[in-house]
Amino acid sequence: MSTAFSVEDLHFTYPSSKTETIKGISFTVQEGEIFGLLGPSGAGKSTTQKILIKLLENYSGRILYFGKDIHSLGSSFYEEIGVGFEMPVHFTKMTAAENLNFFSNFYQNKADVQGLMERVGLWEYRDIRVGEYSKGMKVRLNFVRAMLNRPRVLFLDEVTNGLDPKNARIIKDMIVEYRSQGGTVFLTTHLMNDVEQLCNRVAFCVDGRLHEISTPRELKMKYGKREIKVEYREKENTRSAVFPMASIGENEAFLNLLKSKEIETIHSGETSMEDIFITVTGVGVK
Amino acid sequence: MKTTVKLLLGELKRLIRYKILPVSLVTALLWFALFLFLSREESFFIAPLLIYVDSTIMVILLVGAFNHLERQDGTISTMMVLPVSIGSILTAKAAASMMLALSSMVVTAAALYFIHNLVFDYAALFLFILLTGVSHGAIGFFLALNTRNFSSMLGLLMAYIVVFTLPTILFTFGILDARYDKLLMISPSHSAETLIRSAVTGMYNAGIILAACAWLLGLTFVLYRFAIYPKFKRCGVRG
Ligand SMILES: Nc1ncnc2c1ncn2[C@@H]1O[C@H](COP(=O)(O)OP(=O)(O)OP(=O)(O)O)[C@@H](O)[C@H]1O
Ligand SMILES: [Mg+2]
Repeated sequence: MSTAFSVEDLHFTYPSSKTETIKGISFTVQEGEIFGLLGPSGAGKSTTQKILIKLLENYSGRILYFGKDIHSLGSSFYEEIGVGFEMPVHFTKMTAAENLNFFSNFYQNKADVQGLMERVGLWEYRDIRVGEYSKGMKVRLNFVRAMLNRPRVLFLDEVTNGLDPKNARIIKDMIVEYRSQGGTVFLTTHLMNDVEQLCNRVAFCVDGRLHEISTPRELKMKYGKREIKVEYREKENTRSAVFPMASIGENEAFLNLLKSKEIETIHSGETSMEDIFITVTGVGVK
Repeated sequence: MKTTVKLLLGELKRLIRYKILPVSLVTALLWFALFLFLSREESFFIAPLLIYVDSTIMVILLVGAFNHLERQDGTISTMMVLPVSIGSILTAKAAASMMLALSSMVVTAAALYFIHNLVFDYAALFLFILLTGVSHGAIGFFLALNTRNFSSMLGLLMAYIVVFTLPTILFTFGILDARYDKLLMISPSHSAETLIRSAVTGMYNAGIILAACAWLLGLTFVLYRFAIYPKFKRCGVRG
Protein backbone atom coordinates (compact mmCIF):
# COMPACT_ATOMS: atom_id res chain seq x y z
CA MET A 1 0.00 0.00 0.00
CA SER A 2 1.38 3.38 -0.86
CA THR A 3 0.66 6.68 0.76
CA ALA A 4 -2.00 8.68 -1.06
CA PHE A 5 -1.44 11.89 0.85
CA SER A 6 1.27 12.87 3.19
CA VAL A 7 0.87 16.17 5.00
CA GLU A 8 3.68 17.67 7.02
CA ASP A 9 3.39 20.64 9.33
CA LEU A 10 0.59 22.33 7.45
CA HIS A 11 -0.19 25.94 8.36
CA PHE A 12 -2.77 28.11 6.71
CA THR A 13 -4.16 31.59 7.22
CA TYR A 14 -7.09 32.96 5.21
CA PRO A 15 -6.08 36.20 3.45
CA SER A 16 -8.94 38.00 5.19
CA SER A 17 -8.09 36.62 8.61
CA LYS A 18 -5.52 37.69 11.19
CA THR A 19 -5.09 34.38 12.93
CA GLU A 20 -4.06 31.00 11.60
CA THR A 21 -6.90 28.64 10.77
CA ILE A 22 -4.67 25.58 10.41
CA LYS A 23 -1.97 25.57 13.06
CA GLY A 24 0.54 22.96 12.03
CA ILE A 25 -0.98 19.59 11.30
CA SER A 26 0.63 16.41 9.99
CA PHE A 27 -0.96 13.17 8.90
CA THR A 28 -0.96 10.62 6.12
CA VAL A 29 -3.77 9.03 4.17
CA GLN A 30 -2.91 5.51 3.07
CA GLU A 31 -4.11 4.17 -0.24
CA GLY A 32 -7.18 2.02 0.25
CA GLU A 33 -8.28 3.42 3.59
CA ILE A 34 -11.09 5.65 4.75
CA PHE A 35 -9.48 8.44 6.69
CA GLY A 36 -11.75 10.64 8.77
CA LEU A 37 -11.21 14.12 10.09
CA LEU A 38 -13.53 14.54 13.05
CA GLY A 39 -14.11 17.80 14.80
CA PRO A 40 -16.55 20.48 15.88
CA SER A 41 -17.79 23.26 13.65
CA GLY A 42 -15.09 25.75 12.76
CA ALA A 43 -12.24 23.34 13.52
CA GLY A 44 -10.77 23.71 10.06
CA LYS A 45 -11.91 20.46 8.46
CA SER A 46 -13.25 21.98 5.25
CA THR A 47 -10.25 24.26 5.08
CA THR A 48 -7.93 21.26 5.26
CA GLN A 49 -9.87 19.51 2.50
CA LYS A 50 -9.73 22.61 0.30
CA ILE A 51 -5.97 22.81 0.74
CA LEU A 52 -5.50 19.15 -0.18
CA ILE A 53 -7.54 19.58 -3.36
CA LYS A 54 -5.55 22.69 -4.28
CA LEU A 55 -8.39 25.16 -3.98
CA LEU A 56 -6.61 27.15 -1.32
CA GLU A 57 -3.06 28.19 -1.95
CA ASN A 58 -0.35 29.93 0.04
CA TYR A 59 -0.19 27.36 2.78
CA SER A 60 3.07 26.47 4.43
CA GLY A 61 4.25 22.93 4.99
CA ARG A 62 4.51 20.04 2.60
CA ILE A 63 1.78 18.04 0.91
CA LEU A 64 2.62 15.02 -1.19
CA TYR A 65 0.16 13.15 -3.38
CA PHE A 66 1.54 9.68 -4.08
CA GLY A 67 4.99 11.08 -3.43
CA LYS A 68 4.65 14.17 -5.61
CA ASP A 69 4.40 17.68 -4.24
CA ILE A 70 0.89 18.92 -5.06
CA HIS A 71 2.38 22.21 -6.29
CA SER A 72 3.88 20.30 -9.20
CA LEU A 73 0.59 18.69 -10.26
CA GLY A 74 -1.30 20.08 -13.22
CA SER A 75 -4.99 19.91 -13.91
CA SER A 76 -4.66 16.16 -14.56
CA PHE A 77 -4.69 15.84 -10.74
CA TYR A 78 -8.43 16.40 -11.05
CA GLU A 79 -8.77 13.43 -13.38
CA GLU A 80 -7.85 11.30 -10.40
CA ILE A 81 -9.66 12.83 -7.48
CA GLY A 82 -13.37 13.23 -6.81
CA VAL A 83 -14.58 16.04 -4.61
CA GLY A 84 -17.79 16.16 -2.62
CA PHE A 85 -18.39 19.63 -1.31
CA GLU A 86 -20.17 20.64 1.85
CA MET A 87 -22.24 23.32 0.10
CA PRO A 88 -24.46 22.91 -2.96
CA VAL A 89 -22.33 23.27 -6.09
CA HIS A 90 -24.73 22.82 -8.97
CA PHE A 91 -26.22 25.11 -11.57
CA THR A 92 -29.64 25.68 -10.01
CA LYS A 93 -31.31 26.59 -13.29
CA MET A 94 -30.19 23.38 -14.96
CA THR A 95 -31.53 19.91 -14.32
CA ALA A 96 -29.51 17.35 -12.38
CA ALA A 97 -28.88 15.39 -15.56
CA GLU A 98 -27.67 18.48 -17.42
CA ASN A 99 -25.34 19.31 -14.55
CA LEU A 100 -23.87 15.83 -14.38
CA ASN A 101 -23.50 15.51 -18.15
CA PHE A 102 -21.73 18.82 -18.30
CA PHE A 103 -19.18 17.87 -15.64
CA SER A 104 -18.80 14.29 -16.79
CA ASN A 105 -17.91 15.52 -20.26
CA PHE A 106 -14.53 16.77 -19.07
CA TYR A 107 -13.33 13.47 -17.63
CA GLN A 108 -11.60 10.65 -19.42
CA ASN A 109 -12.89 8.16 -16.88
CA LYS A 110 -16.64 8.17 -16.74
CA ALA A 111 -18.77 6.52 -14.10
CA ASP A 112 -22.16 5.00 -14.80
CA VAL A 113 -24.28 8.05 -14.00
CA GLN A 114 -27.57 6.20 -14.21
CA GLY A 115 -26.35 3.53 -11.81
CA LEU A 116 -25.17 6.11 -9.28
CA MET A 117 -28.32 8.20 -9.57
CA GLU A 118 -30.54 5.15 -9.16
CA ARG A 119 -28.74 4.06 -6.02
CA VAL A 120 -29.06 7.42 -4.32
CA GLY A 121 -32.69 7.60 -5.41
CA LEU A 122 -32.38 10.57 -7.73
CA TRP A 123 -32.70 8.96 -11.13
CA GLU A 124 -36.41 9.68 -11.40
CA TYR A 125 -35.74 13.31 -10.48
CA ARG A 126 -32.94 13.77 -12.99
CA ASP A 127 -34.93 16.12 -15.21
CA ILE A 128 -35.87 18.48 -12.41
CA ARG A 129 -33.93 21.69 -11.98
CA VAL A 130 -31.49 21.48 -9.10
CA GLY A 131 -32.91 24.72 -7.71
CA GLU A 132 -36.04 22.77 -6.90
CA TYR A 133 -34.20 19.97 -5.09
CA SER A 134 -34.53 19.59 -1.33
CA LYS A 135 -31.47 19.95 0.87
CA GLY A 136 -30.99 16.20 1.16
CA MET A 137 -31.34 15.73 -2.58
CA LYS A 138 -28.62 18.31 -3.17
CA VAL A 139 -26.35 16.49 -0.72
CA ARG A 140 -26.91 13.23 -2.59
CA LEU A 141 -26.30 14.94 -5.90
CA ASN A 142 -23.03 16.31 -4.55
CA PHE A 143 -22.00 12.76 -3.75
CA VAL A 144 -22.80 11.60 -7.28
CA ARG A 145 -20.87 14.57 -8.64
CA ALA A 146 -17.83 13.46 -6.61
CA MET A 147 -18.03 9.95 -8.06
CA LEU A 148 -18.40 11.03 -11.71
CA ASN A 149 -14.83 10.25 -12.75
CA ARG A 150 -14.46 6.99 -10.84
CA PRO A 151 -11.83 8.71 -8.73
CA ARG A 152 -8.75 7.16 -7.25
CA VAL A 153 -9.09 9.33 -4.14
CA LEU A 154 -12.44 10.57 -2.96
CA PHE A 155 -12.88 13.68 -0.81
CA LEU A 156 -16.12 13.99 1.10
CA ASP A 157 -16.97 17.00 3.22
CA GLU A 158 -19.83 16.24 5.63
CA VAL A 159 -21.26 13.78 3.17
CA THR A 160 -24.15 12.62 5.33
CA ASN A 161 -25.05 16.00 6.79
CA GLY A 162 -28.74 16.68 6.34
CA LEU A 163 -29.62 13.16 5.20
CA ASP A 164 -32.30 10.97 6.73
CA PRO A 165 -31.03 7.68 8.21
CA LYS A 166 -32.08 5.62 5.18
CA ASN A 167 -30.26 7.80 2.68
CA ALA A 168 -27.28 8.19 4.99
CA ARG A 169 -27.09 4.39 5.09
CA ILE A 170 -27.15 4.16 1.28
CA ILE A 171 -24.34 6.67 0.90
CA LYS A 172 -22.27 4.96 3.59
CA ASP A 173 -22.74 1.60 1.90
CA MET A 174 -21.55 3.13 -1.35
CA ILE A 175 -18.49 4.58 0.35
CA VAL A 176 -17.57 1.23 1.89
CA GLU A 177 -18.11 -0.45 -1.47
CA TYR A 178 -15.93 2.13 -3.16
CA ARG A 179 -13.17 1.43 -0.69
CA SER A 180 -13.46 -2.30 -1.09
CA GLN A 181 -12.81 -1.79 -4.80
CA GLY A 182 -9.53 -0.13 -3.95
CA GLY A 183 -10.65 3.46 -3.49
CA THR A 184 -9.16 5.84 -0.96
CA VAL A 185 -11.37 8.22 1.01
CA PHE A 186 -10.67 11.40 2.91
CA LEU A 187 -13.76 12.47 4.76
CA THR A 188 -14.60 15.18 7.24
CA THR A 189 -17.44 14.95 9.68
CA HIS A 190 -18.74 15.98 13.05
CA LEU A 191 -20.84 12.84 13.34
CA MET A 192 -19.61 9.99 15.53
CA ASN A 193 -21.71 7.51 13.64
CA ASP A 194 -19.89 8.24 10.41
CA VAL A 195 -16.56 7.62 12.06
CA GLU A 196 -17.56 4.41 13.79
CA GLN A 197 -19.25 2.97 10.73
CA LEU A 198 -16.80 4.09 8.05
CA CYS A 199 -13.36 5.13 9.12
CA ASN A 200 -10.30 2.94 9.21
CA ARG A 201 -8.46 5.75 10.88
CA VAL A 202 -9.61 8.98 12.40
CA ALA A 203 -7.93 12.23 13.38
CA PHE A 204 -9.44 14.49 16.01
CA CYS A 205 -9.36 18.07 14.82
CA VAL A 206 -9.98 21.00 17.14
CA ASP A 207 -9.18 24.62 16.48
CA GLY A 208 -6.76 23.94 13.63
CA ARG A 209 -4.80 21.24 15.42
CA LEU A 210 -4.91 17.45 15.36
CA HIS A 211 -5.01 15.68 18.68
CA GLU A 212 -4.98 11.97 18.10
CA ILE A 213 -4.71 9.91 14.94
CA SER A 214 -5.65 6.31 15.35
CA THR A 215 -8.12 3.60 14.49
CA PRO A 216 -11.50 3.83 16.19
CA ARG A 217 -10.77 0.44 17.77
CA GLU A 218 -7.45 1.49 19.26
CA LEU A 219 -8.96 4.68 20.57
CA LYS A 220 -11.53 2.64 22.38
CA MET A 221 -8.90 0.32 23.79
CA LYS A 222 -6.82 3.24 24.93
CA TYR A 223 -9.42 5.57 26.33
CA GLY A 224 -12.48 3.44 26.75
CA LYS A 225 -13.43 2.04 30.11
CA ARG A 226 -14.54 -1.48 29.40
CA GLU A 227 -17.09 -2.65 31.87
CA ILE A 228 -19.83 -5.16 32.27
CA LYS A 229 -23.10 -4.09 33.71
CA VAL A 230 -25.41 -6.76 35.07
CA GLU A 231 -29.05 -6.20 35.97
CA TYR A 232 -30.65 -8.86 38.15
CA ARG A 233 -33.76 -9.42 40.25
CA GLU A 234 -33.63 -9.43 43.98
CA LYS A 235 -36.76 -9.46 46.13
CA GLU A 236 -39.07 -8.19 43.40
CA ASN A 237 -36.63 -5.32 42.62
CA THR A 238 -34.23 -4.81 39.76
CA ARG A 239 -30.70 -4.17 40.91
CA SER A 240 -27.53 -3.66 39.00
CA ALA A 241 -23.84 -4.18 39.44
CA VAL A 242 -20.82 -3.11 37.40
CA PHE A 243 -17.62 -5.14 36.93
CA PRO A 244 -14.40 -4.37 35.09
CA MET A 245 -14.05 -6.36 31.87
CA ALA A 246 -10.44 -7.30 32.62
CA SER A 247 -10.12 -10.92 33.81
CA ILE A 248 -13.84 -11.12 34.23
CA GLY A 249 -13.66 -14.94 34.23
CA GLU A 250 -11.87 -14.90 37.57
CA ASN A 251 -14.06 -12.31 39.19
CA GLU A 252 -15.74 -14.23 42.01
CA ALA A 253 -18.37 -11.63 42.75
CA PHE A 254 -19.39 -11.56 39.11
CA LEU A 255 -19.48 -15.35 38.81
CA ASN A 256 -21.45 -15.71 42.03
CA LEU A 257 -23.95 -13.23 40.80
CA LEU A 258 -24.45 -15.21 37.61
CA LYS A 259 -24.94 -18.43 39.57
CA SER A 260 -27.17 -17.17 42.33
CA LYS A 261 -29.40 -14.49 40.85
CA GLU A 262 -32.03 -14.23 38.22
CA ILE A 263 -30.24 -12.17 35.54
CA GLU A 264 -32.25 -9.68 33.50
CA THR A 265 -29.66 -8.05 31.25
CA ILE A 266 -25.91 -8.04 30.69
CA HIS A 267 -24.28 -5.19 28.79
CA SER A 268 -20.67 -4.66 27.93
CA GLY A 269 -20.30 -0.93 28.24
CA GLU A 270 -17.80 0.68 25.93
CA THR A 271 -17.03 4.33 26.13
CA SER A 272 -18.55 6.03 23.11
CA MET A 273 -16.42 7.87 20.54
CA GLU A 274 -18.08 11.01 21.72
CA ASP A 275 -16.77 10.51 25.27
CA ILE A 276 -13.34 9.69 23.92
CA PHE A 277 -13.34 12.83 21.82
CA ILE A 278 -14.12 14.91 24.89
CA THR A 279 -11.47 13.10 26.93
CA VAL A 280 -8.80 13.64 24.28
CA THR A 281 -9.56 17.18 23.18
CA GLY A 282 -11.28 18.63 26.19
CA VAL A 283 -14.17 19.89 24.06
CA GLY A 284 -17.37 18.44 22.69
CA VAL A 285 -17.85 17.70 19.03
CA LYS A 286 -21.10 19.53 18.49
CA MET B 1 -8.98 23.65 -27.48
CA LYS B 2 -11.65 20.96 -27.40
CA THR B 3 -12.08 21.62 -23.71
CA THR B 4 -12.50 25.34 -24.30
CA VAL B 5 -15.20 24.66 -26.89
CA LYS B 6 -17.04 22.41 -24.43
CA LEU B 7 -16.75 25.10 -21.80
CA LEU B 8 -18.02 27.75 -24.21
CA LEU B 9 -21.03 25.63 -25.20
CA GLY B 10 -21.79 25.21 -21.51
CA GLU B 11 -21.47 28.97 -20.96
CA LEU B 12 -23.82 29.73 -23.85
CA LYS B 13 -26.40 27.22 -22.67
CA ARG B 14 -26.30 28.78 -19.21
CA LEU B 15 -26.51 32.29 -20.64
CA ILE B 16 -29.85 31.18 -22.05
CA ARG B 17 -31.04 29.30 -18.96
CA TYR B 18 -30.14 32.09 -16.59
CA LYS B 19 -32.06 34.45 -18.88
CA ILE B 20 -28.97 36.54 -19.60
CA LEU B 21 -29.07 36.19 -23.36
CA PRO B 22 -32.87 36.59 -23.55
CA VAL B 23 -32.66 39.85 -21.58
CA SER B 24 -30.00 41.09 -23.93
CA LEU B 25 -32.17 40.24 -26.94
CA VAL B 26 -35.23 41.89 -25.41
CA THR B 27 -33.43 45.23 -25.27
CA ALA B 28 -32.38 44.73 -28.87
CA LEU B 29 -36.03 44.10 -29.72
CA LEU B 30 -36.89 47.34 -27.97
CA TRP B 31 -34.67 49.13 -30.46
CA PHE B 32 -36.43 47.20 -33.18
CA ALA B 33 -39.73 48.79 -32.08
CA LEU B 34 -38.07 52.18 -31.82
CA PHE B 35 -36.87 52.05 -35.42
CA LEU B 36 -40.44 51.53 -36.58
CA PHE B 37 -41.27 55.01 -35.33
CA LEU B 38 -38.13 56.75 -36.49
CA SER B 39 -37.32 57.93 -39.97
CA ARG B 40 -34.49 56.42 -41.96
CA GLU B 41 -32.21 59.37 -41.17
CA GLU B 42 -33.05 59.40 -37.49
CA SER B 43 -32.47 55.66 -37.27
CA PHE B 44 -29.16 55.98 -39.03
CA PHE B 45 -28.13 58.70 -36.61
CA ILE B 46 -29.09 56.83 -33.47
CA ALA B 47 -28.06 53.32 -34.56
CA PRO B 48 -24.41 53.52 -33.43
CA LEU B 49 -25.54 54.80 -30.04
CA LEU B 50 -27.98 51.93 -29.51
CA ILE B 51 -25.52 49.29 -30.64
CA TYR B 52 -23.03 51.00 -28.37
CA VAL B 53 -25.32 50.81 -25.32
CA ASP B 54 -26.03 47.14 -26.02
CA SER B 55 -22.43 46.14 -26.39
CA THR B 56 -21.02 48.19 -23.52
CA ILE B 57 -23.33 48.89 -20.56
CA MET B 58 -25.53 45.88 -21.24
CA VAL B 59 -22.55 43.55 -21.57
CA ILE B 60 -21.01 44.85 -18.34
CA LEU B 61 -24.31 44.48 -16.54
CA LEU B 62 -25.10 41.01 -17.85
CA VAL B 63 -21.63 39.55 -17.44
CA GLY B 64 -21.53 40.92 -13.89
CA ALA B 65 -24.95 39.54 -13.07
CA PHE B 66 -23.97 36.17 -14.50
CA ASN B 67 -20.86 36.03 -12.36
CA HIS B 68 -22.81 36.84 -9.22
CA LEU B 69 -25.38 34.16 -10.05
CA GLU B 70 -22.56 31.65 -10.46
CA ARG B 71 -21.12 32.62 -7.12
CA GLN B 72 -24.54 32.25 -5.49
CA ASP B 73 -24.85 28.76 -6.92
CA GLY B 74 -21.36 27.88 -5.68
CA THR B 75 -20.51 26.35 -9.01
CA ILE B 76 -17.09 27.92 -9.38
CA SER B 77 -15.57 25.57 -6.79
CA THR B 78 -16.84 22.57 -8.65
CA MET B 79 -15.52 23.96 -11.95
CA MET B 80 -12.15 24.33 -10.24
CA VAL B 81 -11.93 20.62 -9.55
CA LEU B 82 -12.47 19.70 -13.19
CA PRO B 83 -9.36 18.71 -15.13
CA VAL B 84 -9.38 22.00 -17.03
CA SER B 85 -7.16 25.03 -16.60
CA ILE B 86 -8.42 28.36 -15.31
CA GLY B 87 -7.10 29.79 -18.57
CA SER B 88 -9.59 27.73 -20.60
CA ILE B 89 -12.44 28.64 -18.29
CA LEU B 90 -11.67 32.32 -18.68
CA THR B 91 -11.18 32.00 -22.43
CA ALA B 92 -14.62 30.45 -22.71
CA LYS B 93 -16.07 33.27 -20.63
CA ALA B 94 -14.38 35.88 -22.79
CA ALA B 95 -15.75 34.24 -25.91
CA ALA B 96 -19.22 34.09 -24.36
CA SER B 97 -19.17 37.84 -23.72
CA MET B 98 -18.34 38.35 -27.42
CA MET B 99 -21.36 36.24 -28.35
CA LEU B 100 -23.52 38.27 -26.04
CA ALA B 101 -22.58 41.54 -27.71
CA LEU B 102 -22.76 39.97 -31.14
CA SER B 103 -26.24 38.55 -30.77
CA SER B 104 -27.83 41.86 -29.83
CA MET B 105 -25.93 43.62 -32.60
CA VAL B 106 -27.27 41.13 -35.13
CA VAL B 107 -30.84 41.84 -34.03
CA THR B 108 -30.32 45.59 -34.21
CA ALA B 109 -28.58 45.44 -37.59
CA ALA B 110 -31.31 43.17 -38.94
CA ALA B 111 -33.97 45.59 -37.72
CA LEU B 112 -32.27 48.46 -39.49
CA TYR B 113 -31.94 46.44 -42.64
CA PHE B 114 -35.52 45.20 -42.78
CA ILE B 115 -37.18 48.41 -41.61
CA HIS B 116 -35.08 51.07 -43.28
CA ASN B 117 -32.97 49.09 -45.68
CA LEU B 118 -29.83 50.43 -43.98
CA VAL B 119 -26.68 48.47 -44.77
CA PHE B 120 -23.37 48.83 -42.93
CA ASP B 121 -19.85 47.60 -43.25
CA TYR B 122 -20.78 44.32 -41.56
CA ALA B 123 -17.29 42.83 -41.57
CA ALA B 124 -15.87 45.80 -39.70
CA LEU B 125 -18.88 46.01 -37.41
CA PHE B 126 -18.54 42.31 -36.60
CA LEU B 127 -14.90 42.72 -35.68
CA PHE B 128 -15.48 45.86 -33.64
CA ILE B 129 -18.38 44.29 -31.75
CA LEU B 130 -16.23 41.32 -30.81
CA LEU B 131 -13.66 43.72 -29.42
CA THR B 132 -16.25 45.80 -27.62
CA GLY B 133 -17.95 42.70 -26.19
CA VAL B 134 -14.78 41.08 -24.92
CA SER B 135 -13.38 44.26 -23.37
CA HIS B 136 -16.62 45.25 -21.69
CA GLY B 137 -17.18 41.67 -20.60
CA ALA B 138 -13.81 41.93 -18.89
CA ILE B 139 -14.91 45.17 -17.21
CA GLY B 140 -18.13 43.52 -16.01
CA PHE B 141 -16.17 40.53 -14.75
CA PHE B 142 -13.74 42.83 -12.98
CA LEU B 143 -16.52 44.80 -11.30
CA ALA B 144 -18.27 41.59 -10.22
CA LEU B 145 -15.13 40.10 -8.69
CA ASN B 146 -14.59 43.24 -6.67
CA THR B 147 -18.06 43.40 -5.18
CA ARG B 148 -19.81 41.23 -2.62
CA ASN B 149 -23.17 41.06 -4.31
CA PHE B 150 -25.05 42.16 -7.37
CA SER B 151 -26.50 45.34 -5.87
CA SER B 152 -23.13 46.68 -4.85
CA MET B 153 -21.98 45.90 -8.36
CA LEU B 154 -24.85 47.98 -9.71
CA GLY B 155 -23.51 50.88 -7.66
CA LEU B 156 -20.12 50.57 -9.30
CA LEU B 157 -21.75 50.27 -12.70
CA MET B 158 -23.64 53.52 -12.11
CA ALA B 159 -20.36 55.23 -11.32
CA TYR B 160 -18.85 53.72 -14.45
CA ILE B 161 -21.73 54.99 -16.56
CA VAL B 162 -21.47 58.53 -15.21
CA VAL B 163 -17.74 58.69 -15.77
CA PHE B 164 -17.27 56.69 -18.95
CA THR B 165 -20.56 56.38 -20.80
CA LEU B 166 -22.58 59.56 -20.34
CA PRO B 167 -19.92 61.85 -21.83
CA THR B 168 -20.07 59.80 -25.02
CA ILE B 169 -23.84 60.16 -25.23
CA LEU B 170 -23.62 63.91 -24.57
CA PHE B 171 -20.96 64.07 -27.21
CA THR B 172 -23.13 62.26 -29.76
CA PHE B 173 -25.92 64.76 -29.27
CA GLY B 174 -23.50 67.63 -29.65
CA ILE B 175 -23.83 68.76 -26.03
CA LEU B 176 -20.17 68.06 -25.43
CA ASP B 177 -17.75 69.87 -27.73
CA ALA B 178 -16.20 67.91 -30.60
CA ARG B 179 -12.66 68.77 -29.57
CA TYR B 180 -13.00 66.41 -26.60
CA ASP B 181 -13.40 63.45 -28.92
CA LYS B 182 -9.80 62.28 -28.71
CA LEU B 183 -9.58 62.87 -24.98
CA LEU B 184 -12.76 60.89 -24.42
CA MET B 185 -11.13 57.88 -26.02
CA ILE B 186 -9.48 57.20 -22.69
CA SER B 187 -12.87 55.77 -21.83
CA PRO B 188 -13.01 52.23 -23.21
CA SER B 189 -16.67 52.77 -23.94
CA HIS B 190 -15.95 55.87 -25.99
CA SER B 191 -13.31 54.01 -27.95
CA ALA B 192 -15.87 51.31 -28.59
CA GLU B 193 -18.40 53.88 -29.75
CA THR B 194 -15.85 55.41 -32.09
CA LEU B 195 -15.30 52.02 -33.69
CA ILE B 196 -19.00 51.26 -33.99
CA ARG B 197 -19.75 54.71 -35.43
CA SER B 198 -17.04 54.22 -38.05
CA ALA B 199 -18.42 50.89 -39.13
CA VAL B 200 -21.97 52.27 -39.31
CA THR B 201 -21.09 55.46 -41.16
CA GLY B 202 -18.30 53.95 -43.22
CA MET B 203 -16.00 56.84 -42.30
CA TYR B 204 -12.70 55.57 -41.00
CA ASN B 205 -9.73 57.38 -39.57
CA ALA B 206 -7.04 54.72 -39.66
CA GLY B 207 -5.02 56.17 -36.79
CA ILE B 208 -8.01 56.47 -34.50
CA ILE B 209 -9.29 53.01 -35.38
CA LEU B 210 -5.93 51.47 -34.65
CA ALA B 211 -5.58 53.33 -31.38
CA ALA B 212 -9.08 52.30 -30.26
CA CYS B 213 -8.50 48.66 -31.18
CA ALA B 214 -5.14 48.58 -29.45
CA TRP B 215 -6.57 50.20 -26.34
CA LEU B 216 -9.49 47.77 -26.08
CA LEU B 217 -7.31 44.74 -26.75
CA GLY B 218 -4.69 45.89 -24.28
CA LEU B 219 -7.28 46.62 -21.63
CA THR B 220 -8.87 43.19 -22.09
CA PHE B 221 -5.52 41.50 -21.77
CA VAL B 222 -4.49 43.46 -18.69
CA LEU B 223 -7.82 42.94 -16.94
CA TYR B 224 -7.89 39.20 -17.60
CA ARG B 225 -4.25 38.62 -16.86
CA PHE B 226 -3.73 40.80 -13.83
CA ALA B 227 -7.13 41.45 -12.29
CA ILE B 228 -9.42 38.55 -13.17
CA TYR B 229 -7.13 35.54 -13.38
CA PRO B 230 -5.63 35.95 -9.90
CA LYS B 231 -8.95 36.70 -8.26
CA PHE B 232 -11.35 34.35 -10.00
CA LYS B 233 -10.40 31.25 -8.06
CA ARG B 234 -10.27 32.93 -4.67
CA CYS B 235 -13.66 34.54 -5.20
CA GLY B 236 -15.22 31.29 -6.33
CA VAL B 237 -13.83 29.20 -3.52
CA ARG B 238 -15.05 31.60 -0.89
CA GLY B 239 -18.53 30.93 -2.20
N1 LIG C 1 -13.08 32.23 3.33
C1 LIG C 1 -12.77 32.37 4.62
N2 LIG C 1 -12.17 33.50 5.05
C2 LIG C 1 -11.83 33.65 6.35
N3 LIG C 1 -12.05 32.73 7.31
C3 LIG C 1 -12.64 31.58 6.95
C4 LIG C 1 -13.03 31.34 5.59
N4 LIG C 1 -13.59 30.13 5.53
C5 LIG C 1 -13.56 29.64 6.79
N5 LIG C 1 -12.99 30.49 7.64
C6 LIG C 1 -12.75 30.28 9.09
O1 LIG C 1 -11.88 29.20 9.26
C7 LIG C 1 -12.27 28.39 10.35
C8 LIG C 1 -12.41 26.95 9.90
O2 LIG C 1 -13.47 26.85 8.96
P1 LIG C 1 -13.85 25.48 8.26
O3 LIG C 1 -14.92 25.76 7.28
O4 LIG C 1 -12.61 24.82 7.77
O5 LIG C 1 -14.44 24.66 9.50
P2 LIG C 1 -15.07 23.21 9.54
O6 LIG C 1 -14.26 22.41 10.48
O7 LIG C 1 -15.23 22.66 8.17
O8 LIG C 1 -16.50 23.50 10.19
P3 LIG C 1 -17.95 22.91 9.84
O9 LIG C 1 -18.11 21.64 10.61
O10 LIG C 1 -18.87 23.97 10.36
O11 LIG C 1 -18.05 22.73 8.36
C9 LIG C 1 -13.55 29.01 10.88
O12 LIG C 1 -13.23 29.75 12.03
C10 LIG C 1 -14.03 29.90 9.79
O13 LIG C 1 -14.67 31.04 10.33
MG1 LIG D 1 -16.82 22.21 7.02
